[in-house]
Amino acid sequence: MRPVDLARKLRREAAFEPAALERGKAVLMAAIRQASAPRRWPAITPQVPYQDIPAALAFLERAFGFREIPTARFVSAGGELLHATVEFGNSLVGVGGQGHHGAISPMSGGVESQFISVEVDDVDAHYRRAVAAGARVADELRDHAWGERTYWALDLEGHRWRFGQPIRQHV
Amino acid sequence: MVSPPSDAAVIGLSVDEPEAFGVIYDRHAPTVLRFLGRRAGADVAEGLLGDLFRIAFERRKTFDPARASAIPWLYGIGSNLLMKHRRGEARRLRATARMTADEASAKRASTAAHDARLLFPRVADAIEALPDSEREALLLFAWEDLSYQGVAEALELPIGTVRSRLNRARARLRELLEPGGKKRERAR
Repeated sequence: MRPVDLARKLRREAAFEPAALERGKAVLMAAIRQASAPRRWPAITPQVPYQDIPAALAFLERAFGFREIPTARFVSAGGELLHATVEFGNSLVGVGGQGHHGAISPMSGGVESQFISVEVDDVDAHYRRAVAAGARVADELRDHAWGERTYWALDLEGHRWRFGQPIRQHV
Repeated sequence: MVSPPSDAAVIGLSVDEPEAFGVIYDRHAPTVLRFLGRRAGADVAEGLLGDLFRIAFERRKTFDPARASAIPWLYGIGSNLLMKHRRGEARRLRATARMTADEASAKRASTAAHDARLLFPRVADAIEALPDSEREALLLFAWEDLSYQGVAEALELPIGTVRSRLNRARARLRELLEPGGKKRERAR
């Protein structure tokens, strides 16, 4: 027997779980996603205070289609969620605690001192989704002379959001 | 009929379009998984597979487009990852040697059986005793059926170096096969 054949006698196959290849691919695809969309932190990020952060996150996702960035969570030693960040399009919104840094939820302050404008691709579909999820409509969906179709909604704690989509000008 | 794009073409494309690298996974992950499994067993192999392709993806710009196949390159990344699992690899090899010896001795008459019982554990020990670089070259050549060129690509060595490493590894194994081989080795 030749030496290499001798070594070859000790070659033994391993038995794999069927899911082994899928798990490996998930690792690769996560790296690919990160490379194709490197996250750019915008220069300005609105920070919005809530009494109940988990409820706010669930609502913002369900009603407005915002997605939490899981790696951006800030959790206390005791496991309490202190701050989260959601993304939509190329923008971010911080979701923080009521009273932190002197910012107040309208639920306790009673005042919405500002609102956030969001441009969406299909404002009609967005409106339907938000209403179905329990958003309170503050101003109905309608066209404006300056070439935009908008509606206004209040979230769970009364923060004011404006959603709009550019429309073709009528000549 | 249009032939599918080469590995080099796909990897080149993936530099600007990262998603294309998924094709390399689909083409070669089963082969690479079996390679890792032969060396370190199923559990370690499954754990390393995703990392191996993630590292390959991150290094895709350095892939030499003159290479026909990405397989040796992927094996080379795997060889490096396996270095952290040397003990498990050695355990697996010795277990295989015992199994092979048992199978061989069951089939043969007493003298030959005795030889087989001794031989395969000695082969395993000899492989384990090789310097890392020689063992790696030998196993890529003998188990993965890479050509000299393939081993050279995997280990990023000149082909002459691969040839001399394989020759040294062969010589050490040959000692085990020749009567009196052990004595000669001691006399040297």
